[in-house]
Amino acid sequence: MVNLEELKENAKELLKQEKVKYIIGYKRGTNGLMPVPAFIKKPEDVENLIWDPLCIYNLTRFLVDEKRKKAKQKNPDERPVGLIVKGCDSRAVNVLLQEKFINREDIYIIGISCENTGVVDEKKLVKKLKGKKVKKIEFGKKNGFIVSTEDGQVEVPSSEILAERCQECIAHFPVVYDVLLGEKPKRKPDNPFKSLEKMESLSREERWTFWKEQLDKCIRCYACRSTCPMCYCDECVVDTINFAVTADTTAEEKAQKIKWVEKSPVLSENFVYHFIRAIHLAGRCIDCGECERVCPLDIPLRFLNKKLEKEAKELFGYDVGFDPDRPSLVSCFKEEDPEDFIR
Amino acid sequence: MAEEFEPKIVAFLCKWCSSAGSDLAGVSRMEYPPNVVPITVMCSGSISPLYILSAFNKGADGVLVSGCHPGDCHYIKGNLYARRRIALVKELLEFIGFEPKRFQMSWVSAAEGSKYTQIIKDFVSQLKPLGPQTELRRNL
Ligand code: SF4
Ligand code: SF4
Ligand code: FES
Repeated sequence: MVNLEELKENAKELLKQEKVKYIIGYKRGTNGLMPVPAFIKKPEDVENLIWDPLCIYNLTRFLVDEKRKKAKQKNPDERPVGLIVKGCDSRAVNVLLQEKFINREDIYIIGISCENTGVVDEKKLVKKLKGKKVKKIEFGKKNGFIVSTEDGQVEVPSSEILAERCQECIAHFPVVYDVLLGEKPKRKPDNPFKSLEKMESLSREERWTFWKEQLDKCIRCYACRSTCPMCYCDECVVDTINFAVTADTTAEEKAQKIKWVEKSPVLSENFVYHFIRAIHLAGRCIDCGECERVCPLDIPLRFLNKKLEKEAKELFGYDVGFDPDRPSLVSCFKEEDPEDFIR
Repeated sequence: MAEEFEPKIVAFLCKWCSSAGSDLAGVSRMEYPPNVVPITVMCSGSISPLYILSAFNKGADGVLVSGCHPGDCHYIKGNLYARRRIALVKELLEFIGFEPKRFQMSWVSAAEGSKYTQIIKDFVSQLKPLGPQTELRRNL
Protein backbone atom coordinates (compact mmCIF):
# COMPACT_ATOMS: atom_id res chain seq x y z
CA MET A 1 0.00 0.00 0.00
CA VAL A 2 1.13 3.51 -0.72
CA ASN A 3 1.67 5.34 2.52
CA LEU A 4 0.68 9.00 2.41
CA GLU A 5 2.88 9.80 5.39
CA GLU A 6 5.84 8.38 3.54
CA LEU A 7 5.00 10.61 0.58
CA LYS A 8 4.84 13.67 2.81
CA GLU A 9 8.07 12.70 4.55
CA ASN A 10 9.87 12.38 1.23
CA ALA A 11 8.51 15.67 0.00
CA LYS A 12 9.42 17.42 3.23
CA GLU A 13 13.02 16.21 3.09
CA LEU A 14 13.39 17.34 -0.50
CA LEU A 15 12.18 20.82 0.34
CA LYS A 16 14.14 21.05 3.57
CA GLN A 17 17.36 20.11 1.88
CA GLU A 18 16.46 22.52 -0.92
CA LYS A 19 16.98 19.80 -3.47
CA VAL A 20 13.97 20.87 -5.52
CA LYS A 21 12.43 24.19 -6.48
CA TYR A 22 8.95 23.07 -5.62
CA ILE A 23 6.84 19.96 -5.76
CA ILE A 24 3.85 19.44 -8.00
CA GLY A 25 1.30 17.12 -6.44
CA TYR A 26 -2.34 16.91 -5.44
CA LYS A 27 -4.26 18.62 -2.67
CA ARG A 28 -7.90 18.75 -1.71
CA GLY A 29 -9.87 21.40 -3.60
CA THR A 30 -12.14 23.93 -2.00
CA ASN A 31 -15.09 22.71 -3.99
CA GLY A 32 -15.99 19.23 -2.88
CA LEU A 33 -13.97 16.10 -3.05
CA MET A 34 -12.06 16.53 -6.28
CA PRO A 35 -8.36 17.19 -5.80
CA VAL A 36 -6.62 20.10 -7.44
CA PRO A 37 -2.98 20.44 -8.44
CA ALA A 38 -0.75 21.64 -5.62
CA PHE A 39 2.51 23.54 -5.95
CA ILE A 40 4.32 23.00 -2.69
CA LYS A 41 7.20 25.35 -1.98
CA LYS A 42 7.59 25.24 1.80
CA PRO A 43 8.32 22.12 3.89
CA GLU A 44 5.42 22.87 6.22
CA ASP A 45 2.97 22.86 3.31
CA VAL A 46 3.56 19.21 2.51
CA GLU A 47 0.73 18.53 4.94
CA ASN A 48 -1.61 19.58 2.15
CA LEU A 49 -0.51 16.72 -0.09
CA ILE A 50 -3.03 13.96 -0.66
CA TRP A 51 -3.12 10.69 -2.54
CA ASP A 52 -6.41 8.97 -3.26
CA PRO A 53 -8.26 7.34 -6.18
CA LEU A 54 -9.46 10.73 -7.39
CA CYS A 55 -5.95 11.96 -8.20
CA ILE A 56 -6.80 11.60 -11.84
CA TYR A 57 -4.92 14.50 -13.39
CA ASN A 58 -1.72 14.09 -15.29
CA LEU A 59 0.52 16.72 -13.72
CA THR A 60 3.20 16.27 -16.37
CA ARG A 61 1.59 19.07 -18.36
CA PHE A 62 3.02 21.52 -15.83
CA LEU A 63 6.53 20.64 -16.99
CA VAL A 64 5.68 22.29 -20.28
CA ASP A 65 4.60 25.47 -18.51
CA GLU A 66 7.65 25.29 -16.25
CA LYS A 67 9.98 25.08 -19.22
CA ARG A 68 8.35 28.10 -20.86
CA LYS A 69 8.50 30.11 -17.65
CA LYS A 70 12.13 29.23 -17.07
CA ALA A 71 13.08 30.25 -20.59
CA LYS A 72 11.90 33.77 -19.82
CA GLN A 73 13.72 34.15 -16.51
CA LYS A 74 17.04 35.96 -16.41
CA ASN A 75 18.59 34.01 -13.55
CA PRO A 76 16.49 30.89 -13.35
CA ASP A 77 16.61 28.62 -10.35
CA GLU A 78 18.43 25.60 -11.80
CA ARG A 79 17.21 23.07 -9.26
CA PRO A 80 14.86 20.36 -10.48
CA VAL A 81 11.11 20.44 -10.07
CA GLY A 82 9.60 17.66 -7.96
CA LEU A 83 6.77 15.91 -9.74
CA ILE A 84 4.36 13.30 -8.46
CA VAL A 85 3.48 10.74 -11.13
CA LYS A 86 1.36 7.65 -11.57
CA GLY A 87 2.26 4.95 -14.09
CA CYS A 88 0.65 6.66 -17.08
CA ASP A 89 2.05 10.06 -16.09
CA SER A 90 5.54 8.61 -15.84
CA ARG A 91 5.26 7.39 -19.40
CA ALA A 92 4.38 10.95 -20.41
CA VAL A 93 7.60 12.07 -18.73
CA ASN A 94 9.45 9.43 -20.74
CA VAL A 95 8.02 10.73 -24.00
CA LEU A 96 9.08 14.27 -23.12
CA LEU A 97 12.55 12.93 -22.32
CA GLN A 98 12.64 10.91 -25.51
CA GLU A 99 11.81 14.03 -27.52
CA LYS A 100 14.44 15.97 -25.57
CA PHE A 101 11.81 18.49 -24.58
CA ILE A 102 12.95 18.21 -20.98
CA ASN A 103 16.18 17.06 -19.35
CA ARG A 104 16.24 14.33 -16.81
CA GLU A 105 18.22 16.45 -14.35
CA ASP A 106 15.52 19.12 -14.37
CA ILE A 107 12.99 16.87 -12.70
CA TYR A 108 12.86 14.87 -9.53
CA ILE A 109 10.24 12.18 -10.00
CA ILE A 110 8.23 10.89 -7.09
CA GLY A 111 6.54 7.82 -8.49
CA ILE A 112 3.38 6.41 -7.01
CA SER A 113 2.22 2.96 -7.99
CA CYS A 114 -1.46 2.39 -8.66
CA GLU A 115 -0.79 -1.17 -7.47
CA ASN A 116 -3.92 -3.22 -8.00
CA THR A 117 -6.31 -0.54 -9.08
CA GLY A 118 -5.93 2.86 -10.67
CA VAL A 119 -8.02 5.98 -10.60
CA VAL A 120 -11.76 6.27 -10.43
CA ASP A 121 -13.99 7.43 -13.25
CA GLU A 122 -15.90 10.38 -11.77
CA LYS A 123 -18.95 9.71 -13.90
CA LYS A 124 -19.13 6.04 -13.03
CA LEU A 125 -18.77 6.94 -9.35
CA VAL A 126 -21.64 9.43 -9.42
CA LYS A 127 -23.83 6.89 -11.16
CA LYS A 128 -22.91 4.11 -8.79
CA LEU A 129 -23.75 6.16 -5.71
CA LYS A 130 -26.98 7.48 -7.22
CA GLY A 131 -26.42 11.03 -6.08
CA LYS A 132 -25.20 10.22 -2.59
CA LYS A 133 -22.40 12.50 -1.57
CA VAL A 134 -18.98 10.96 -1.25
CA LYS A 135 -17.10 11.99 1.86
CA LYS A 136 -13.98 10.04 1.25
CA ILE A 137 -12.63 7.47 -1.13
CA GLU A 138 -9.70 5.19 -0.46
CA PHE A 139 -7.86 2.32 -2.07
CA GLY A 140 -9.11 -1.02 -0.76
CA LYS A 141 -6.86 -3.79 0.52
CA LYS A 142 -7.26 -6.07 -2.49
CA ASN A 143 -8.47 -4.48 -5.68
CA GLY A 144 -11.42 -2.30 -4.91
CA PHE A 145 -12.20 1.06 -3.40
CA ILE A 146 -13.61 2.00 -0.04
CA VAL A 147 -16.16 4.75 -0.45
CA SER A 148 -17.54 6.63 2.54
CA THR A 149 -20.85 8.44 2.25
CA GLU A 150 -23.20 9.81 4.88
CA ASP A 151 -24.67 6.28 5.10
CA GLY A 152 -21.34 4.77 6.06
CA GLN A 153 -18.66 2.82 4.20
CA VAL A 154 -19.11 0.61 1.20
CA GLU A 155 -16.57 -1.46 -0.64
CA VAL A 156 -16.88 -1.07 -4.41
CA PRO A 157 -15.08 -3.53 -6.69
CA SER A 158 -12.76 -1.80 -9.11
CA SER A 159 -14.54 -3.27 -12.13
CA GLU A 160 -17.47 -0.96 -11.34
CA ILE A 161 -15.88 2.45 -11.02
CA LEU A 162 -12.31 2.15 -12.27
CA ALA A 163 -11.53 4.41 -15.24
CA GLU A 164 -11.60 2.53 -18.53
CA ARG A 165 -8.02 3.47 -19.32
CA CYS A 166 -6.88 2.00 -16.00
CA GLN A 167 -8.62 -1.23 -16.89
CA GLU A 168 -6.52 -1.29 -20.05
CA CYS A 169 -3.30 -0.05 -18.47
CA ILE A 170 -0.25 -2.16 -19.25
CA ALA A 171 1.93 -0.93 -16.36
CA HIS A 172 0.29 0.25 -13.15
CA PHE A 173 3.48 1.65 -11.76
CA PRO A 174 5.89 4.40 -12.74
CA VAL A 175 8.51 3.33 -15.27
CA VAL A 176 10.82 6.22 -14.48
CA TYR A 177 11.30 7.70 -10.99
CA ASP A 178 13.77 8.85 -8.39
CA VAL A 179 11.77 7.47 -5.53
CA LEU A 180 8.97 4.94 -5.74
CA LEU A 181 6.07 4.51 -3.33
CA GLY A 182 4.11 1.27 -3.40
CA GLU A 183 4.68 -2.08 -5.06
CA LYS A 184 5.10 -2.91 -8.72
CA PRO A 185 2.25 -5.29 -9.37
CA LYS A 186 2.60 -8.00 -12.00
CA ARG A 187 -0.74 -7.70 -13.62
CA LYS A 188 -1.57 -7.43 -17.28
CA PRO A 189 -4.94 -6.53 -18.76
CA ASP A 190 -6.61 -9.30 -20.78
CA ASN A 191 -6.89 -6.96 -23.69
CA PRO A 192 -5.32 -3.51 -23.59
CA PHE A 193 -7.48 -2.41 -26.51
CA LYS A 194 -10.78 -3.79 -25.32
CA SER A 195 -12.63 -0.48 -25.54
CA LEU A 196 -11.94 -0.35 -29.28
CA GLU A 197 -13.60 -3.66 -29.99
CA LYS A 198 -17.11 -2.32 -30.16
CA MET A 199 -16.18 0.50 -32.49
CA GLU A 200 -14.14 -1.77 -34.73
CA SER A 201 -17.01 -4.20 -35.05
CA LEU A 202 -19.26 -1.51 -36.51
CA SER A 203 -19.60 -1.18 -40.25
CA ARG A 204 -17.77 1.61 -42.01
CA GLU A 205 -20.99 3.59 -42.44
CA GLU A 206 -21.83 3.25 -38.77
CA ARG A 207 -18.39 4.43 -37.79
CA TRP A 208 -18.75 7.42 -40.07
CA THR A 209 -22.13 8.30 -38.58
CA PHE A 210 -20.68 7.99 -35.11
CA TRP A 211 -17.72 10.28 -35.69
CA LYS A 212 -19.71 12.74 -37.70
CA GLU A 213 -22.08 13.18 -34.82
CA GLN A 214 -19.30 13.37 -32.24
CA LEU A 215 -17.01 15.76 -34.05
CA ASP A 216 -19.87 17.97 -35.11
CA LYS A 217 -20.30 18.83 -31.43
CA CYS A 218 -16.77 20.19 -31.04
CA ILE A 219 -16.72 23.92 -30.34
CA ARG A 220 -12.93 24.11 -30.79
CA CYS A 221 -12.25 25.43 -27.33
CA TYR A 222 -8.93 23.54 -27.58
CA ALA A 223 -9.13 22.41 -23.98
CA CYS A 224 -8.02 18.98 -25.20
CA ARG A 225 -4.90 20.53 -26.63
CA SER A 226 -4.19 22.73 -23.61
CA THR A 227 -4.27 19.85 -21.18
CA CYS A 228 -2.19 17.39 -23.15
CA PRO A 229 1.43 17.13 -22.05
CA MET A 230 2.42 16.21 -25.60
CA CYS A 231 0.73 19.20 -27.22
CA TYR A 232 3.65 21.48 -26.51
CA CYS A 233 4.31 22.89 -29.98
CA ASP A 234 4.88 26.64 -29.83
CA GLU A 235 2.76 26.99 -32.89
CA CYS A 236 -0.05 24.71 -33.93
CA VAL A 237 -1.12 24.26 -37.54
CA VAL A 238 -4.71 24.89 -36.65
CA ASP A 239 -4.09 28.42 -35.40
CA THR A 240 -4.20 31.08 -38.03
CA ILE A 241 -4.50 34.13 -35.83
CA ASN A 242 -0.75 34.43 -35.65
CA PHE A 243 -0.69 35.06 -39.37
CA ALA A 244 -0.09 38.77 -39.03
CA VAL A 245 1.02 40.42 -42.24
CA THR A 246 2.91 43.67 -41.88
CA ALA A 247 4.87 45.76 -44.32
CA ASP A 248 7.92 43.75 -43.23
CA THR A 249 6.47 40.33 -43.92
CA THR A 250 8.54 38.81 -46.66
CA ALA A 251 7.16 36.78 -49.50
CA GLU A 252 8.90 33.72 -48.08
CA GLU A 253 7.20 34.16 -44.74
CA LYS A 254 3.82 34.48 -46.40
CA ALA A 255 4.50 31.39 -48.45
CA GLN A 256 5.27 29.46 -45.29
CA LYS A 257 2.09 30.56 -43.56
CA ILE A 258 -0.54 28.46 -45.13
CA LYS A 259 -3.98 28.56 -43.62
CA TRP A 260 -4.54 24.86 -43.31
CA VAL A 261 -7.75 24.86 -41.40
CA GLU A 262 -10.47 27.38 -40.73
CA LYS A 263 -11.25 28.39 -37.16
CA SER A 264 -14.97 27.92 -37.61
CA PRO A 265 -16.21 24.96 -35.61
CA VAL A 266 -17.90 23.25 -38.52
CA LEU A 267 -17.65 19.55 -39.23
CA SER A 268 -15.17 19.67 -42.10
CA GLU A 269 -12.69 21.83 -40.16
CA ASN A 270 -13.21 19.89 -36.95
CA PHE A 271 -12.27 16.77 -38.84
CA VAL A 272 -8.99 18.27 -39.94
CA TYR A 273 -8.24 19.41 -36.40
CA HIS A 274 -9.02 16.10 -34.76
CA PHE A 275 -7.33 14.07 -37.43
CA ILE A 276 -4.14 16.05 -37.14
CA ARG A 277 -4.32 16.03 -33.36
CA ALA A 278 -4.61 12.26 -33.35
CA ILE A 279 -1.87 11.73 -35.92
CA HIS A 280 0.51 14.05 -34.15
CA LEU A 281 -0.05 12.07 -30.97
CA ALA A 282 0.58 8.70 -32.59
CA GLY A 283 3.32 6.97 -30.65
CA ARG A 284 3.25 9.82 -28.12
CA CYS A 285 -0.11 9.60 -26.39
CA ILE A 286 0.22 7.58 -23.20
CA ASP A 287 -3.51 7.41 -22.58
CA CYS A 288 -3.76 9.57 -19.50
CA GLY A 289 -7.28 10.39 -20.62
CA GLU A 290 -6.98 14.07 -19.82
CA CYS A 291 -8.20 15.27 -23.22
CA GLU A 292 -11.41 13.34 -22.94
CA ARG A 293 -11.91 14.36 -19.32
CA VAL A 294 -11.67 18.07 -20.03
CA CYS A 295 -13.83 18.08 -23.15
CA PRO A 296 -16.97 20.07 -22.30
CA LEU A 297 -18.91 18.15 -24.92
CA ASP A 298 -17.90 14.66 -23.88
CA ILE A 299 -16.37 13.75 -27.21
CA PRO A 300 -14.72 10.31 -26.85
CA LEU A 301 -11.33 11.57 -27.96
CA ARG A 302 -9.58 8.70 -26.30
CA PHE A 303 -10.71 6.29 -29.01
CA LEU A 304 -8.81 8.14 -31.72
CA ASN A 305 -5.60 8.05 -29.74
CA LYS A 306 -6.14 4.51 -28.59
CA LYS A 307 -6.66 3.35 -32.15
CA LEU A 308 -3.27 4.70 -33.15
CA GLU A 309 -1.67 3.24 -30.05
CA LYS A 310 -3.03 -0.09 -31.15
CA GLU A 311 -1.77 0.26 -34.71
CA ALA A 312 1.64 1.33 -33.43
CA LYS A 313 1.76 -1.86 -31.41
CA GLU A 314 0.33 -4.22 -33.99
CA LEU A 315 1.94 -2.88 -37.15
CA PHE A 316 5.27 -1.76 -35.74
CA GLY A 317 5.68 -3.46 -32.36
CA TYR A 318 5.94 -0.06 -30.70
CA ASP A 319 5.12 0.58 -27.04
CA VAL A 320 4.72 4.18 -25.99
CA GLY A 321 6.63 5.75 -23.12
CA PHE A 322 8.75 2.88 -21.89
CA ASP A 323 12.14 3.70 -23.31
CA PRO A 324 13.31 7.31 -23.67
CA ASP A 325 16.41 6.16 -25.52
CA ARG A 326 14.75 4.63 -28.53
CA PRO A 327 13.66 6.69 -31.51
CA SER A 328 10.03 7.76 -31.58
CA LEU A 329 7.43 5.91 -33.63
CA VAL A 330 7.54 7.98 -36.81
CA SER A 331 11.19 8.92 -36.72
CA CYS A 332 12.26 5.37 -37.38
CA PHE A 333 11.25 2.40 -39.54
CA LYS A 334 12.01 -1.24 -40.03
CA GLU A 335 12.80 -2.91 -43.34
CA GLU A 336 9.93 -5.27 -42.73
CA ASP A 337 7.29 -2.61 -42.01
CA PRO A 338 4.04 -3.64 -43.69
CA GLU A 339 3.44 -2.35 -47.18
CA ASP A 340 0.66 -4.53 -48.47
CA PHE A 341 -1.50 -1.40 -48.81
CA ILE A 342 0.96 0.10 -51.29
CA ARG A 343 0.64 -0.64 -54.94
CA MET B 1 -28.40 12.78 -70.33
CA ALA B 2 -26.45 13.79 -67.26
CA GLU B 3 -22.74 13.99 -67.78
CA GLU B 4 -20.66 11.24 -66.27
CA PHE B 5 -19.01 12.12 -62.97
CA GLU B 6 -15.32 12.87 -63.39
CA PRO B 7 -13.43 12.42 -60.14
CA LYS B 8 -10.70 14.84 -59.27
CA ILE B 9 -7.52 13.20 -58.02
CA VAL B 10 -4.75 15.02 -56.19
CA ALA B 11 -1.50 13.14 -56.66
CA PHE B 12 1.52 13.89 -54.49
CA LEU B 13 4.46 12.63 -56.50
CA CYS B 14 8.05 12.65 -55.43
CA LYS B 15 10.27 14.55 -57.82
CA TRP B 16 12.87 11.87 -58.41
CA CYS B 17 10.80 8.82 -59.26
CA SER B 18 7.05 9.11 -59.41
CA SER B 19 6.96 12.55 -60.96
CA ALA B 20 9.58 11.45 -63.47
CA GLY B 21 7.47 8.34 -64.08
CA SER B 22 4.46 10.48 -64.87
CA ASP B 23 6.61 12.59 -67.18
CA LEU B 24 7.73 9.49 -68.98
CA ALA B 25 4.10 8.53 -69.47
CA GLY B 26 3.55 12.00 -70.96
CA VAL B 27 6.51 12.13 -73.31
CA SER B 28 5.85 8.56 -74.44
CA ARG B 29 2.31 9.68 -75.33
CA MET B 30 0.74 7.02 -73.20
CA GLU B 31 -2.93 7.77 -72.74
CA TYR B 32 -4.52 8.08 -69.35
CA PRO B 33 -7.49 9.94 -67.90
CA PRO B 34 -7.00 13.69 -67.35
CA ASN B 35 -8.41 13.59 -63.82
CA VAL B 36 -5.16 14.15 -61.98
CA VAL B 37 -3.80 17.30 -60.42
CA PRO B 38 -0.17 16.36 -59.84
CA ILE B 39 1.74 18.05 -57.05
CA THR B 40 5.45 17.41 -57.12
CA VAL B 41 7.17 17.17 -53.76
CA MET B 42 10.82 16.52 -53.06
CA CYS B 43 10.30 13.10 -51.53
CA SER B 44 7.41 10.95 -50.36
CA GLY B 45 8.93 11.36 -46.91
CA SER B 46 8.08 15.05 -47.03
CA ILE B 47 4.36 14.45 -47.39
CA SER B 48 2.64 15.50 -44.22
CA PRO B 49 -0.62 13.81 -43.28
CA LEU B 50 -1.97 17.34 -43.32
CA TYR B 51 -1.43 17.53 -47.10
CA ILE B 52 -3.66 14.54 -47.56
CA LEU B 53 -6.36 15.83 -45.24
CA SER B 54 -6.15 19.23 -46.78
CA ALA B 55 -6.63 17.83 -50.26
CA PHE B 56 -9.81 16.09 -49.16
CA ASN B 57 -10.85 19.21 -47.28
CA LYS B 58 -10.51 21.24 -50.46
CA GLY B 59 -12.58 18.83 -52.44
CA ALA B 60 -10.38 16.06 -53.84
CA ASP B 61 -12.37 12.92 -54.67
CA GLY B 62 -9.26 10.79 -54.35
CA VAL B 63 -5.70 11.27 -53.14
CA LEU B 64 -2.66 9.42 -54.41
CA VAL B 65 0.70 9.44 -52.68
CA SER B 66 3.55 8.05 -54.71
CA GLY B 67 7.27 7.68 -54.17
CA CYS B 68 10.31 5.71 -55.23
CA HIS B 69 10.48 1.98 -54.56
CA PRO B 70 12.12 1.03 -51.26
CA GLY B 71 15.86 1.23 -51.76
CA ASP B 72 15.56 3.81 -54.55
CA CYS B 73 14.68 6.95 -52.63
CA HIS B 74 16.89 9.85 -53.62
CA TYR B 75 17.25 10.63 -49.92
CA ILE B 76 17.93 6.96 -49.16
CA LYS B 77 15.11 6.29 -46.71
CA GLY B 78 12.49 9.03 -46.99
CA ASN B 79 10.01 6.58 -48.49
CA LEU B 80 10.47 4.17 -45.59
CA TYR B 81 9.49 6.88 -43.13
CA ALA B 82 6.57 7.71 -45.42
CA ARG B 83 5.46 4.08 -45.50
CA ARG B 84 5.10 4.07 -41.73
CA ARG B 85 3.44 7.45 -41.43
CA ILE B 86 1.00 6.89 -44.28
CA ALA B 87 0.01 3.49 -42.87
CA LEU B 88 -1.17 5.32 -39.75
CA VAL B 89 -3.08 7.87 -41.82
CA LYS B 90 -4.77 5.08 -43.71
CA GLU B 91 -5.77 3.26 -40.53
CA LEU B 92 -7.16 6.39 -38.95
CA LEU B 93 -9.15 7.33 -42.06
CA GLU B 94 -10.73 3.91 -42.04
CA PHE B 95 -11.39 4.07 -38.32
CA ILE B 96 -13.45 7.25 -38.64
CA GLY B 97 -15.36 5.52 -41.42
CA PHE B 98 -13.97 7.33 -44.42
CA GLU B 99 -14.21 5.41 -47.71
CA PRO B 100 -10.80 3.70 -47.99
CA LYS B 101 -11.03 3.48 -51.78
CA ARG B 102 -10.48 7.21 -51.97
CA PHE B 103 -6.91 6.94 -50.83
CA GLN B 104 -4.06 5.18 -52.55
CA MET B 105 -0.33 4.88 -52.14
CA SER B 106 2.09 3.52 -54.70
CA TRP B 107 5.73 3.11 -55.62
CA VAL B 108 6.42 4.31 -59.14
CA SER B 109 9.95 4.54 -60.52
CA ALA B 110 11.12 6.94 -63.21
CA ALA B 111 10.98 4.07 -65.70
CA GLU B 112 7.44 3.00 -64.83
CA GLY B 113 5.40 5.29 -67.03
CA SER B 114 3.05 2.48 -67.84
CA LYS B 115 2.59 1.49 -64.22
CA TYR B 116 1.69 5.11 -63.48
CA THR B 117 -0.94 5.24 -66.23
CA GLN B 118 -2.40 1.96 -65.04
CA ILE B 119 -2.64 3.23 -61.47
CA ILE B 120 -4.45 6.35 -62.59
CA LYS B 121 -6.80 4.40 -64.86
CA ASP B 122 -7.70 2.01 -62.07
CA PHE B 123 -8.05 4.77 -59.52
CA VAL B 124 -10.41 6.72 -61.76
CA SER B 125 -12.60 3.71 -62.39
CA GLN B 126 -12.59 2.95 -58.69
CA LEU B 127 -13.67 6.49 -57.82
CA LYS B 128 -16.34 6.95 -60.47
CA PRO B 129 -19.02 4.80 -58.86
CA LEU B 130 -18.41 6.51 -55.51
CA GLY B 131 -19.50 9.91 -56.78
CA PRO B 132 -18.20 13.17 -55.36
CA GLN B 133 -16.43 13.15 -52.02
CA THR B 134 -18.48 15.25 -49.63
CA GLU B 135 -17.52 13.81 -46.26
CA LEU B 136 -14.39 15.81 -45.63
CA ARG B 137 -15.01 18.63 -48.07
CA ARG B 138 -14.92 22.12 -46.63
CA ASN B 139 -18.41 23.22 -45.80
CA LEU B 140 -18.44 26.64 -44.19
S1 SF4 C 1 -12.03 19.87 -25.67
FE1 SF4 C 1 -13.76 19.01 -26.83
S2 SF4 C 1 -14.90 20.80 -27.62
FE2 SF4 C 1 -12.88 21.55 -26.93
S3 SF4 C 1 -11.65 21.48 -28.83
FE3 SF4 C 1 -11.29 19.52 -27.74
S4 SF4 C 1 -12.81 18.13 -28.64
FE4 SF4 C 1 -13.45 20.21 -29.20
S1 SF4 D 1 -3.86 12.82 -26.17
FE1 SF4 D 1 -5.13 12.84 -24.31
S2 SF4 D 1 -4.71 10.85 -23.36
FE2 SF4 D 1 -3.07 11.19 -24.84
S3 SF4 D 1 -1.40 12.15 -23.70
FE3 SF4 D 1 -2.66 13.83 -24.57
S4 SF4 D 1 -4.15 14.37 -22.96
FE4 SF4 D 1 -3.27 12.33 -22.43
S1 FES E 1 12.87 10.80 -53.43
FE1 FES E 1 11.29 9.52 -54.18
S2 FES E 1 10.57 8.74 -52.31
FE2 FES E 1 12.24 9.89 -51.56
